[in-house]
Amino acid sequence: MTVPTFAPLPSADAPAGAPTAPIVLERVSRWYGPVVAVNDITFALGPGITGLLGPNGAGKTTILHMLSGLLRPSSGRVLIGGETAWRNPSIYRGMGLVPEREAVYPFLTGREFVEMAAQLQRLPDPKAAADVAIKTVDLEAAANRAVGGYSKGMRQRVKIAAALVHDPPILLLDEPFNGMDPRQRIHMMDLLRSMAAAGRTILFSSHILEEVERIADGVLVIVAGRLAAAGDFREIRRLMTDRPHTFVVRSSDDRRLAAAFMAEPAVFGTELRDSVLTVRVAEFGGFTRTVARVARDADVTLFEVAPTDDSLESVFAYLVSRR
Amino acid sequence: MTIFATVTAITIRALVGRRRTLLMLLLAGMPVLLGLIIRVNEDNLGLRILGQTIDGIVIRTVLPLIALVFGTAALGSELEDGTGVHLLTKPINRSVIVVSKALVAGTLTAVLVVPSTVLGGFLMGGLGGDAIGVTFAFALASLIGSFLYAAIFLVLSSITTRGLIIGLAYAIIWEGLVAGLLPGSQVFSVREYLTGIVQTLTPEAVGESLVGTGGFLYAAVAFVLALAIGSVRLARYEVRGAE
Repeated sequence: MTVPTFAPLPSADAPAGAPTAPIVLERVSRWYGPVVAVNDITFALGPGITGLLGPNGAGKTTILHMLSGLLRPSSGRVLIGGETAWRNPSIYRGMGLVPEREAVYPFLTGREFVEMAAQLQRLPDPKAAADVAIKTVDLEAAANRAVGGYSKGMRQRVKIAAALVHDPPILLLDEPFNGMDPRQRIHMMDLLRSMAAAGRTILFSSHILEEVERIADGVLVIVAGRLAAAGDFREIRRLMTDRPHTFVVRSSDDRRLAAAFMAEPAVFGTELRDSVLTVRVAEFGGFTRTVARVARDADVTLFEVAPTDDSLESVFAYLVSRR
Repeated sequence: MTIFATVTAITIRALVGRRRTLLMLLLAGMPVLLGLIIRVNEDNLGLRILGQTIDGIVIRTVLPLIALVFGTAALGSELEDGTGVHLLTKPINRSVIVVSKALVAGTLTAVLVVPSTVLGGFLMGGLGGDAIGVTFAFALASLIGSFLYAAIFLVLSSITTRGLIIGLAYAIIWEGLVAGLLPGSQVFSVREYLTGIVQTLTPEAVGESLVGTGGFLYAAVAFVLALAIGSVRLARYEVRGAE
């Protein structure tokens, strides 16, 4: 698998025409009246797959819209292939966008929709290009049916075919796996991996950690409009896992178990209230490795050990608090 | 296929939906229906009455309504439902999108309104030389008005999501009320340009018009201005509904 490059930012005094990373956001903010949707974000991406991870409403779509020239940054600059994205239709020659909204002309067949994209890209043989793109997303069987009758997953695939039809070096996808069944999802992940291996720069947004984990090596974590973490996925994953956690424990003798836990270095607090034992630990892995031994040594039977704050939101909140 | 032809073909297919077309056909049939009623009950209308009748039913009612529906649907609906993003994220000049869509909306309006005007005029005024002159003067005015109204309403729909309501308010309140009370405001009224055109061709068919023979020029300037504003507006268009 290709490891994405977190490419260096272009220097302000770089000579004109100097090569820059395919995707650059430099101190970019975007606000709607008093609401700050994206707050002072900087990153540069090179070839490979990068996941734009964050909870719903974090600002992922706003970032993708600014990258695709559909939204003006309130401050900072957005470059695609070294060119300003805003008010510059020429960037679309080298970029494909798969928007999150399902809207596709319902009266067109899948083939007509992809062919339309090829014609608008001024490809020499739009029909042949459309055939290749449709085959790539495995939509040949339904290509001659009206898009209005497509399932959510099929609409997603036809949008991806239209974005791929001109073979762009940069691909932006907003929640691309929404609505796909597991087989389609695996197929699409394989496709994106092979495109990345061929040297393309792919950025996709998701609010599902596992999706990003399975496909992207690089990750940008966006929380409340800020870049909470960026870099290699495994490093981010370790930060997400090895953080303070709170567990709820049910056992045959909660009081004795609470006392036993307090002797453990990984545990820094216990609380027994309303017959519920809550244990605060320094890091997830250390506690889960010792909990069974502690219970056995104290001669207590464990019924349940459950983390209480393992939601993605709490993970993101932790990452933000570290910065 | 050229970019222009591709955008035009998509727009035509988007606009010629079964329900919308049926409603517009019914609306366009009103001058013919009125002509039939007049023909059954009376002899040919006099030139002035003929002019007032066509003005009332075509220029003041049917034309702006049909142009409003096609004009706002051609671009505004696509921007609203998100399908427009598929055009906006292609390496094409935004003015090509505006011009092709305005021409499609104008052509569809004209295809319905102009034949209806001619047929209705023949039924109301008969086939006498002067009456035919009045009918064709209104037919030409409705042809010009189709493209001008459609372009204005298309631009309006790219500026606001309430293009349909504001367009309706323009046709009813501004052109119907304000232009009558404040004659100076007639220079911003498409209806007055069209009245000026008819007056230039057949002075006996309509009353005084402030713009007079300048109707052609006003209409041409307004059309070019609308397309220019629309192109600039679409070049600076920002998607709605971001997080």
